[in-house]
Amino acid sequence: MKLPLSWLAEFVTVEAEVEEICRRLTVAGVEVENIARVRPAFSDVVVARVLKTERHPNADRLSLCEVEAGPVGRFSVVCGAPNVRAGMITAYARLGSRLMSGVHGQGGVEAIEQAPPLQAAVIRGIKSDGMLCSERELGLSQEHQGILELDEGESGADLASALYLDDTVLEIAITPNRGDCLSVLGLAREVAALFGVKLKEIRLRPGKALKPGSDQVTIAVGIDAPDLCPRYAALPMAAVKIGPSPIWMRRRLELAGMRPINNVVDTTNYVMLALGQPLHAFDYGKLAGGKIIVRRAGNDREITTLDGIQRALMPDDLVIADAEKPVAIAGVMGGGNSEVGAETNTILLESAYFEPMTVARTGRRLALRSEASYRFERGIDREGQVRALYMAAEIIRKIAGGREAGPIVDVDARPAPPREIVLEPGAIGSLLGVELPTAEVSRRLKSLGAWVTSGGKGKLIVAPPSFRPDLNEPADLAEEVARLNGLEEIPAAAPDRRSAAPAAEDPSRIFARASREVMLGCGLTEIKSIAFVASDDNQAYPGIGTGKPVRVANPISAELSELRCSLIPGLVTALRFNLNRQAGAFHGFEIGRVFAMDGEQAAEFERIAGIGYGEYAMGTIGRESISADFFMIKGIVESYLESIPGLAPRSFVAPGATSLAFLHPGKSAAISIEERQIGYLGELHPRAASHLELATPCVIFELDLTAILAYAAAKGRRVELPPRFPAVRRDLALVVEQALPADKVLKTIRESSSNLLESVRLFDVYEGGSLPTGRKSVGIACLYRARDRTLTDSEVNRAHAELIERVRVGLGAELRH
Amino acid sequence: MREQLEQIRSRALAELAAEATESAIEDVRVRVLGRAGELTEIMRGMREVPAQERPAIGQLVNQIKTELEARIEALQGKLKEAALERSLTEARLDVTLPGAKIPRGHLHPITLTIENMLRIFNAMGFEIVATRDIEDDFHNFAALNFPPDHPAREMQDTFFLGGGLLLRTHTSNGQIRVMEQRRPPLAIVCPGNCYRRDELSVRASPMFSQIEGFMVDRAGRITMAHLKGVLTEFLRAFFGSDTAVRFRASFFPFTEPSAEVDISCLLCGGKGCRICKHSGWTEILGSGMIHPNVLRAVGYDPAEYQGFAFGLGVDRTALLRLGVEDMRLFFENDVRFLGQFPASNERFA
Repeated sequence: MKLPLSWLAEFVTVEAEVEEICRRLTVAGVEVENIARVRPAFSDVVVARVLKTERHPNADRLSLCEVEAGPVGRFSVVCGAPNVRAGMITAYARLGSRLMSGVHGQGGVEAIEQAPPLQAAVIRGIKSDGMLCSERELGLSQEHQGILELDEGESGADLASALYLDDTVLEIAITPNRGDCLSVLGLAREVAALFGVKLKEIRLRPGKALKPGSDQVTIAVGIDAPDLCPRYAALPMAAVKIGPSPIWMRRRLELAGMRPINNVVDTTNYVMLALGQPLHAFDYGKLAGGKIIVRRAGNDREITTLDGIQRALMPDDLVIADAEKPVAIAGVMGGGNSEVGAETNTILLESAYFEPMTVARTGRRLALRSEASYRFERGIDREGQVRALYMAAEIIRKIAGGREAGPIVDVDARPAPPREIVLEPGAIGSLLGVELPTAEVSRRLKSLGAWVTSGGKGKLIVAPPSFRPDLNEPADLAEEVARLNGLEEIPAAAPDRRSAAPAAEDPSRIFARASREVMLGCGLTEIKSIAFVASDDNQAYPGIGTGKPVRVANPISAELSELRCSLIPGLVTALRFNLNRQAGAFHGFEIGRVFAMDGEQAAEFERIAGIGYGEYAMGTIGRESISADFFMIKGIVESYLESIPGLAPRSFVAPGATSLAFLHPGKSAAISIEERQIGYLGELHPRAASHLELATPCVIFELDLTAILAYAAAKGRRVELPPRFPAVRRDLALVVEQALPADKVLKTIRESSSNLLESVRLFDVYEGGSLPTGRKSVGIACLYRARDRTLTDSEVNRAHAELIERVRVGLGAELRH
Repeated sequence: MREQLEQIRSRALAELAAEATESAIEDVRVRVLGRAGELTEIMRGMREVPAQERPAIGQLVNQIKTELEARIEALQGKLKEAALERSLTEARLDVTLPGAKIPRGHLHPITLTIENMLRIFNAMGFEIVATRDIEDDFHNFAALNFPPDHPAREMQDTFFLGGGLLLRTHTSNGQIRVMEQRRPPLAIVCPGNCYRRDELSVRASPMFSQIEGFMVDRAGRITMAHLKGVLTEFLRAFFGSDTAVRFRASFFPFTEPSAEVDISCLLCGGKGCRICKHSGWTEILGSGMIHPNVLRAVGYDPAEYQGFAFGLGVDRTALLRLGVEDMRLFFENDVRFLGQFPASNERFA
C-alpha cells in the first residue's frame, strides 16, 4: 500500500516527524518499507488566470496574454498554445522559476536545482515575462498540445501544492490480517491510535436526488446468496459525462500506484483507496430490466471480463447479474457487457460486502487479481458500504457532472452478528508476561475503535469495531494491547526450567553429524544441492530404491519437475561446475533426503553419497598421488562403515546385468547387509563419463543412511581387552579360479578354521607368470592365537595343516610354493 | 710366545690408528680376532705351551683381545658418528616443497550455521527433533491456522506433489507433528529443509533451511516475556553479546500476538547503511505466542496450555554472517567458496 502523506493529512493531523510516524507504525506491525519523497519537476510555478489574449502582431500562431497571479502580480506573456483563452486557469512560470525538460516522472530536487532559471525573452520583438506551461513542460504527462487547464484554483497559489505534486509517499507492507489498513482511512486510524489523537471528521452526506420524472431511474437489488454476499448497496447517477479526471485526481491515483482511466472509474478507485471499500460502476443502460441480482453463477458458464478475456464460471462462483445474465464476477472483475464507456450517461455504483473466501477462491482459480479482490479477500469494513457511495457521489458530481438518479438501495440480507470478546482479569498479562491495569487495557482497546464495557470483577467485555474482522479472541486483543506501545514494554525473562536434564537430540541427526565428520576426515567436502531435478536425472541415476520418481504438480520449470531419487545428480552437477572453473579434481559428499513413490504415496529417505574425481591424496614433488578410482572410493566407504560401532557385516557384490546401469559393469559393486542392499559404489559408466566430458575415472557411492543406522549396534556394547599372549602368523598361497572373489576365499577360510584362527587377511593377488591361464594366486596371512596361553609351534602347524586341507577341497585350490 | 703376542698387539694397535678407515679396521679385526685370526691360532696352539705358562698366556691373549675389541669399537663409533655428520649435511631437503597431504574436507556453511544454532538451543534446554519434508495440508497449513483460500497462504507459494501431499513451506509442521504425539512441557527445535516456488536467484531459493522452535507449558508459565528472553539470549549467543534486539508486532497465522525480531545491522552496527536500507535493523526471525487455534488443532486446551514459537531462516542468516549477498553461492558448490570453511563445527568468525 502506497500512502501519500498529503492524503493522510486529510484524515488525521499528527505533530511528529515523518521518520517517527514510520518508526511507530513499523514497531506496531504496520511495516513502512520505504519513504519516498516526490517532488515536482519545476519550482516557483503558480496558478494564474488569463485575463485577455490578443494576436501577436508579428506571428499568426502566437498570442499576447495578460495573466493575473493574485499576490504574485500581473504579467504579459507570449504564448503559442492553441487553447489559450481569456478566463482560463493555468500554470504560470514566472521569471526565475525552473523547469525540467518536461519528461514525465523525472522529478527530483537535484535535477530541478540544476535547471537554469527562466529569464525574460523577447519573442518576435515582444518581451515575455515568463511563460504559460503545458503538462509536458511541468513533467506531469507527455501532453503538449496546449497549456495546462485547471478547473479551479486560487490565483497565485503554488501549483505544486495545488496538484499534490510535493509529497511524501510511504510504502507500507500490510500483513494479510490487516485488510483494514489497505486504505488511507485505515492507516489514519492506526496513526491516530498510536499518537493518541482524534481522526478528522469527514462529512459525507447524500446529495440531492433528481426529482422523480426527469432522469430518475428505478433499480431493484436482490441478494440470492446471502451466505456469500450479506450486503449490497447501489446508487444510480445520471447525466454523467465520461472524460479524463482532473490532474489532482490522476496524480493521487498515480502516487498510490494506480493508473487513471476515466473520471468515473477513477472515482471508484479513489474512494477505494481512501476508505478501503471497493466500488464498481456499471453502465445502467446495459443492465437488463434495471435489476441487480447477487447470486451463484449456476448454469451461466462464462463471462467476458473488462479486460476482454472470456472466463469460465463454476456453478458456485458468486456473480452480479441483471435480469438476464451475469454482468460481473463479484469482487473480482466487472463484465465487458456492462462496462462504462465514452457514451455512458447513467451509471450504477455498486458498494457491497463479499465474503473473503468466495472472492479468494474465484480469483485464484481464474488467476485474476485486482485491487478490489485484494481487499475483499482480506476482509473489508462490514459496515462501510453506504458511506463509500456518499463519497463517490460527491466526487462524481464534482468531476463528471452527474446527479443522483434515485436513492441508495441498501440491501442488508444478513446483518453482521454482534461480536463480543470476554477478557478475564489477568488474561492479557498472563499471555504477555506483563501486568497492565484494566483501565489501561480498556483505554488502548477503545483507542482502536473497540467498544469496551465492564463485565464486573475486573472482567472486560470488548466489541471489536466492524472494520477489524481479525479480532476474535483474547489473544487477538493481547496483541492489540501489546503493539500499541511497542513490544519494548514487555520485559525479557528466562523461563522456569522444570528439568535440568540435558536436552535430547534426534538419533538420526546425531548419526548424520558423525557421518559427516568421517567424510570430512576422508577428504570429501560437503555440498548442498537443490532437491528438484529433471526427469532425465532420475532416469540416469535412479538411486538405491526401486520406487518411481515423485513428480511435482506445479514445478518451476521442466528442468526441476521431479524430486531427486538420488543425491548423485547434485554431486555430478557440482563436479561439472568446478571442472568448468578449472578445478582439476573434485571430491565431495552430501547428506540429504531423496524422494520416491512408496506405492501411491510420495515418501522421503535419508541418504549419504559421495563423488571422487582426479588427484586425491598423498602426492607431492617426486611422488605420485593417489587418484580417484574404484579402490579409492571403496576405501572411503569401508572406512566410513568401519567407523560405525557394531555395524553388521556387509558384503560388496558385483552388480547383475540390469542393476546399477549407470556404473561401469566391471568396476562397481552393490553393498548389502544381511541380503538387503544398503548402497552401491563404483566407477561411473564410461558412456556417462564421456557425456559429462570427464577425462579420467569418476567414482561415486550412495548409501541408505536410515538402513545403516538400523544395522548399527544399539547402546551398551562391550569392550574387549587386548590379548595378553602373542599371535603366530602363517602365510598361505592358494591358486584358485581367476573369477573366484577374494571375499569368497576369505569367507571359506574363516568358516573352515579351528577356533585358534584369530584373523585372516589378504595381502597379495598374482596372475600370469608361471600360473596357468584362468587361475590366480592369492596370498593370505593367517593369525593364530589363544586367549589363555602361548601357542606352541606344533599346535599352530596342526591347525594350519587342517585349515589348508579343508580350504583346498572347499575351493578346489592348489597350494603354491 | 709372549713376544709373538706383543708383536701382534703392537702391529694391530699401529694399524688401528685414529685415522684408520672402515676397511682397515675390518681387516685388523678379521686378521687378529677372526675365526681363523692370529689370536685364535695362538689359543689353538696352547697345548704346545708348557702347562705352568698356560694361564698367563691365556690371560694375556684375553687382555689383548679385550683391548683390541675396545679399540675397534671406539674407532667404529667415531667413524659412524663422522658418517652420520656427513649424511646430515648432505641430505638436506628443500623444506619449502609441499608435503604429501592427507586430504581434508570442508563443511558446508549452511551446515555450520545450523549446527552452531542448534548447539546454542540445545544448551538452552531445547530438544532437537527431525521432522518430514513431505507433508499434508493439515500439518503444513490447516492445523497452523491457515484456513483454505486464506490470503496468508499466498505468503508461501507451495509445491504440490499430488495425493494431497505437498513439500512443506516451513518447518512449523514440526510444531504439529510433535504436539500431536506429546504433552507439555515441551522445549523443541526442528531444523529442516523447506520449499517454496521461488526460482534460484540472488535473494531466493526453491529449497532452503529453517529452524522452528517452540516452548509450551501450562498457561501462564510461558509468556511473551519468556519468548523475548529466550530469543534475545539466543541471538546474542549467536551474533555476539553486543547485538541489539528489537521485537516488533507482526502477523503470522499460527501465532497471536506475533512479533518480527530484528537485530542491529551486522554491517553498520545500527547506524544505517545500504544493507539495512538505512534503518539500522535487520529482520532475522518471526515469532509469537502459539495461536489458540493451533493448540486446539493438536488437541490442547488453550485455557490449559500456552507457549511460544519461532522460525528462523538459516540461509539468510548465514549470508548475513558471512557478509555475502548471493544465495546461489550455497548451491553452486564452488570449491573456492566451500574450501574457506573449516572441517569442524567450530564457529566461524
